[in-house]
Amino acid sequence: MSALSVPFSFNRLALIASNTFLEAVRQKLFNFLLLLAVGLVASAQFFRDFNFGSSELKFIADFGFGALIFFGSALTITATAQLFFSEIENRTALTLLAKPIWRAEFVFGKFLGVFSVIGVFCALTIGLMMALLWHREGQLMAANPEAFEAGRIMRYGDLFIVGVLQWLKFGVLSAIVLLIASFSNTNLYTVVTGFFALVICHLQYLARDSWSNVDSLVLRSVVRLLSFVFPNFQLFNLSDEIGQGAGLDPMLAGRVALYALGYITVIGGLAVYSFRNREI
Amino acid sequence: MNTSIPAISIKGLTKDFAVTLRGVKLRAVDDLSLQVEKGQVFGLLGPNGSGKSTTIKIILGLLGATVGEVKVFGVPSHQVESRRNVGYLPEAPYFYRYLSGYELVRFYARVCGVPKAQLKARVNDVVDWVGLSQAANRRVGTYSKGMLQRIGLAQALVHDPKLIVLDEPTAGVDPVGSAEMCELILKLKRQGKTVLITSHLLAQIEDVCDRVAILDHGKLMVEGSLLELVGQRDRQALIVDPLPAAEIEALREWLTSRGHVLNAIEQPRARLDQLFLSKISRTGHLGGNPGVGSNVVPSSSVPKSSASAPSSAPKA
Amino acid sequence: MPFVLNFLRSARTGLLVAAGLAAAGIALRPLEAPAWEEVRSRQPALRLESIKDALGQGVTVGLLGGFRAIVADFFWIRTNYVWEKYDLPATQTSIKLVTAIDPRPTYFWLNGSRMIAYDMPNWRIDKAGGYDKVPDTVEKRFDQEQSEVAIRYLNEGFGFHPEQPLIRLEIANIYLNRLKDTVSAARDYAIAAEHPDAPYYAARIYAELLRKMERNADAYAYLRTLYAKLPADNPQAMKSVVLERIRELEAELNVAPADRFRE
Repeated sequence: MSALSVPFSFNRLALIASNTFLEAVRQKLFNFLLLLAVGLVASAQFFRDFNFGSSELKFIADFGFGALIFFGSALTITATAQLFFSEIENRTALTLLAKPIWRAEFVFGKFLGVFSVIGVFCALTIGLMMALLWHREGQLMAANPEAFEAGRIMRYGDLFIVGVLQWLKFGVLSAIVLLIASFSNTNLYTVVTGFFALVICHLQYLARDSWSNVDSLVLRSVVRLLSFVFPNFQLFNLSDEIGQGAGLDPMLAGRVALYALGYITVIGGLAVYSFRNREI
Repeated sequence: MNTSIPAISIKGLTKDFAVTLRGVKLRAVDDLSLQVEKGQVFGLLGPNGSGKSTTIKIILGLLGATVGEVKVFGVPSHQVESRRNVGYLPEAPYFYRYLSGYELVRFYARVCGVPKAQLKARVNDVVDWVGLSQAANRRVGTYSKGMLQRIGLAQALVHDPKLIVLDEPTAGVDPVGSAEMCELILKLKRQGKTVLITSHLLAQIEDVCDRVAILDHGKLMVEGSLLELVGQRDRQALIVDPLPAAEIEALREWLTSRGHVLNAIEQPRARLDQLFLSKISRTGHLGGNPGVGSNVVPSSSVPKSSASAPSSAPKA
Repeated sequence: MPFVLNFLRSARTGLLVAAGLAAAGIALRPLEAPAWEEVRSRQPALRLESIKDALGQGVTVGLLGGFRAIVADFFWIRTNYVWEKYDLPATQTSIKLVTAIDPRPTYFWLNGSRMIAYDMPNWRIDKAGGYDKVPDTVEKRFDQEQSEVAIRYLNEGFGFHPEQPLIRLEIANIYLNRLKDTVSAARDYAIAAEHPDAPYYAARIYAELLRKMERNADAYAYLRTLYAKLPADNPQAMKSVVLERIRELEAELNVAPADRFRE
């Protein structure tokens, strides 16, 4: 009898994902972080007091993306760890994995559930930020037409694309946290290690760009290896220019998206490999 | 499937858990060999830490064997295929609290691939079968322990598996719930299902099992049918109306004259759980648990095996 | 030795995962490298040694981690706060800190230099006793000193925005409005006007300054050339105003009708 007589099923994967999504949106943490992010974006009203002129739009965009990146990272790490460990600690994983399902379906189902939750978070935060920018830009255009000779400064299509790229970055982060969770014993360890991984991925470019400056051969090799082991999260840092009204190179956006998808696939696969050996 | 293939076949199973990096290991199961035939209710007994749950987890593919081979209906247990015909009720089950009982069973039915056309009917049937129809729309988070066991059994049965694995199904459940669970197990047996059950509540196991195996420190101590293991083939009990002392003496003499020995004279007793069940008004007792209605197991349905076999065997 | 073997056995999954990650990093490098080159080219190097003392460790890590824009925004808001308090040293330090953190927005350079060149001389005069008490020579010295600081600051901005016309115009404005140095102002307006992204008014002001310096013939020649380059459909180009100035200059220079500019 073939091991594949129960084939990998996208239906089961989607079921686990939708169940994970349902569990996540019922968690207070999600609502709390969403509220904070929305609050921070909405607090852009505060910039009016400074009379920044058309540059006020840059401040709104910077704060919007800042809220998205900061709270999105926190949500990604905590939600991924929590939703994974709730299955292990509450022993619902016992019941689920005793069914005819593949562990890959479980891991990728969990991932897709969390990824959907983060997608909703990103959509709401970016949506609110774009609405605010559109409204405020309209007001500023009416008040100061010379500053908007060539029409609207903000490129809303590019803002949307950068939002999608941030979502993909959170996807990579979520896959990393799932990989940690696949061998970790506690939720706390996973969350703390996840935050360390986030910082390392943000600083990876330092190792990537300067390993050759290290004198010691051993240290140089270690630094170089590190630059390959961790993904480069600075690559997703495209929002600064967008906030100043600069355009986004579609080729660059495409490359960054493919980079993220590549990492999600590989790290997700490694999480499955690690989880396959885990004793429940 | 070939009828000669046992439901579960365990050969030389050993399971070690690494305790330290220095290589110190804990042996949870030690060279265990067992076979559970189709249609049997098989009891896996043993004290806490004897290796029962580890064995079950290996059967379900949740743990890997260190040495040995475990097959379910002829398929190695590490393969997903081996779980196609298995339903599992874990010990003290915990389910997604935010789902209703109906949603929960439906979720597992879909996970197990119950065809869409049959989904609704199958879920309704199984929820009804375990007696939770009236509570099916309540969130699982509000269920009592007994109801959790029932919904757990429903999810284990929803894809109509041939083998049902019940890990301590009556642990922490009151005698009424336990009796009902035993009744459900006997129903499964009547339907031709194979049931593997672990428990340390031996009296309950005794009521429902065809065969039992006793584990201790991961080793198989004894295995066989209940009659083989606890039946006293060289003894018989006669249960009669109360006899005056003179007639008892006459009976003893009569038996002696024919070469028999009267070993013991005792007052037969019902078991305490029987007394408990007979004194509890089922509808009144379960009134606080909507959904555990009268259609579940009738109040007269104290497990038949218990009713017909009071523990009145004469003592040697 | 058994310990090492056991450790390696237990760590097998971890080692394989690390190897998998490294392999992924190598495999994805061709995709990442060109993208990273482009992203990095847009991010000026952080001069941490000049700012880390002012920021503290947490903010420094935040900067390294890519939160430059929002950290700079926070410090710009802080700049506005100390500016409202007329705190000259704090405002000047804060302005420079903001552009050291994120030199990309020209907004910071322009508005920072305005605070230095236009507001700070007034604060210094107030501090010295007010306009009634401070002699004109001292007022002029304050103007001179603050303007020099502002121009130096704006010239630093060229390091990140080479020949940015708005920065060049800001320098020209300071020469003209603060230092009353028409020659230097005209020079910078002319340079700014040469830039393709320069606002149209840069060239008009340059021409006006030429007239002010009594170089009407140069102004006339400049405006004739300018007029030909201006678009007719952009009201900001103010083509009719330029033509009006040309006619004024033709009258002043007594240009023969035959030689007059034809549209």
